Amino acid sequence: MTDDIARFEAVTAGYGGRPVLDGFDLRLRRGAVYALLARNGEGKTTAVRCLLGLEPVAAGRVSLFGLDPWSERTRALARVAYVPEEPDALPGLTAPRLGRTVAGLMPRWEAAIYSAQLDRAGVPRDVPFARLSRGQKAHVELALALASRPDFLVLDDPTLGLDHVARRAFYGELIHELVERGVTVFITSHDIAAIEKIATHVGVLRRGKLALDMEIEALKAGFRRVRFGKHVPMPARPLRVESGLWGVEAVLGDYQPAELESWRQKTGAEVAPMSLEEIFVAVADDKEVA
Amino acid sequence: MPCARPTRAQVSAGPAASDRLTASASLYYNTDTVTGLRIDPSAATPIWSQLEEQLRQLVATRRLAPGAPVPSVRALAAELIVNPATVAKAYQRLCDAGVLVVRRGEGTFVADRPPEMSRTERARALRESAERYAAVARTLGAGTDEAIAAVEAVLGRLDRAIGGSKR
Repeated sequence: MTDDIARFEAVTAGYGGRPVLDGFDLRLRRGAVYALLARNGEGKTTAVRCLLGLEPVAAGRVSLFGLDPWSERTRALARVAYVPEEPDALPGLTAPRLGRTVAGLMPRWEAAIYSAQLDRAGVPRDVPFARLSRGQKAHVELALALASRPDFLVLDDPTLGLDHVARRAFYGELIHELVERGVTVFITSHDIAAIEKIATHVGVLRRGKLALDMEIEALKAGFRRVRFGKHVPMPARPLRVESGLWGVEAVLGDYQPAELESWRQKTGAEVAPMSLEEIFVAVADDKEVA
Repeated sequence: MPCARPTRAQVSAGPAASDRLTASASLYYNTDTVTGLRIDPSAATPIWSQLEEQLRQLVATRRLAPGAPVPSVRALAAELIVNPATVAKAYQRLCDAGVLVVRRGEGTFVADRPPEMSRTERARALRESAERYAAVARTLGAGTDEAIAAVEAVLGRLDRAIGGSKR
């Protein structure tokens, strides 16, 4: 058994003529909190659905705990929990009844985890799921997922539509889980500020492929923005170049520090580090570059 | 916000809801005045490095006194909503540098004698900060005497604030 929880190998998937994933590779190691970022419509949800065996792949291979999630779904998903983008629990049931329903399906269910989470989130016990607030629904979904004591937690944009307070509470619960049990996490999100604080790895999906796949520690060191006059020679291997308000701007994603420094000294260019958000925009922007 | 100093049990307990959801895991002055850490995910500096830098600052300015306890990795991660591994990395680097010490079964503390920077390190750090300040002063059109007077005034205020104990 390797340390891989899940793996995509040259996966092509999607509908009809236009594959959403196209030669998609991703490796998820035990203990990682892997955040997959992408613009809307780039296939984040397709990746999640393939991973969970909800959609077959057209080519390539997905494995989950070494098994094919499509053909061996029950075994592959035995230790996996999922929080969907749209809360989809049975609408007529209250939180305690939802818990009892799910408990029967989950061999490792721990009721104490479930009720402690509901308490912390202040979810009322007597209101049917459909009438809970968006934030309360997200907490119920997370509590259902965590009480089954998964080894692997998959979250598809779980904080979409939540306000700041609810988002903070949601991520707080997630950190609590990481601290207590060290679950492996795969999360897609648009909430880059929160992702940066909790992720160990970040991937950016663009045009069906993984355009960026890095450990968070290496990420900020790996990118630089440079700004220079129009007649200055280009730095080596720019990722993208744009003419900006203050001169020419380039993003470097693959630079040699010594080489960059000597270029800076020769040209007097400005070299600045980048935030994750800036890096995401530079990598995910679909305009033709350089 | 005034805040009771957390007991060791609270700090290391982690799972207690009240512990995680209040400011009890905040770093505090040795005078029971709460101070805090600010993580800025939009900054270009990695989060572990922001944490390391701010903790170093709190120790250097004695807002965290020698021997004072610091929150457990878990408690601080929960409070800041940051991956525990990130907090652990900052703590590890500070332990390696002799700023913090781990006492088994007790927790993590500011070292009794936090290390001084080496003289060359300190000289370099001072020069770099001075360069930035000098550039600002000249941009504002300040003369040398005026610029130095402003620094002296700030230094005097700082010394009074920390009781003149550290010069």
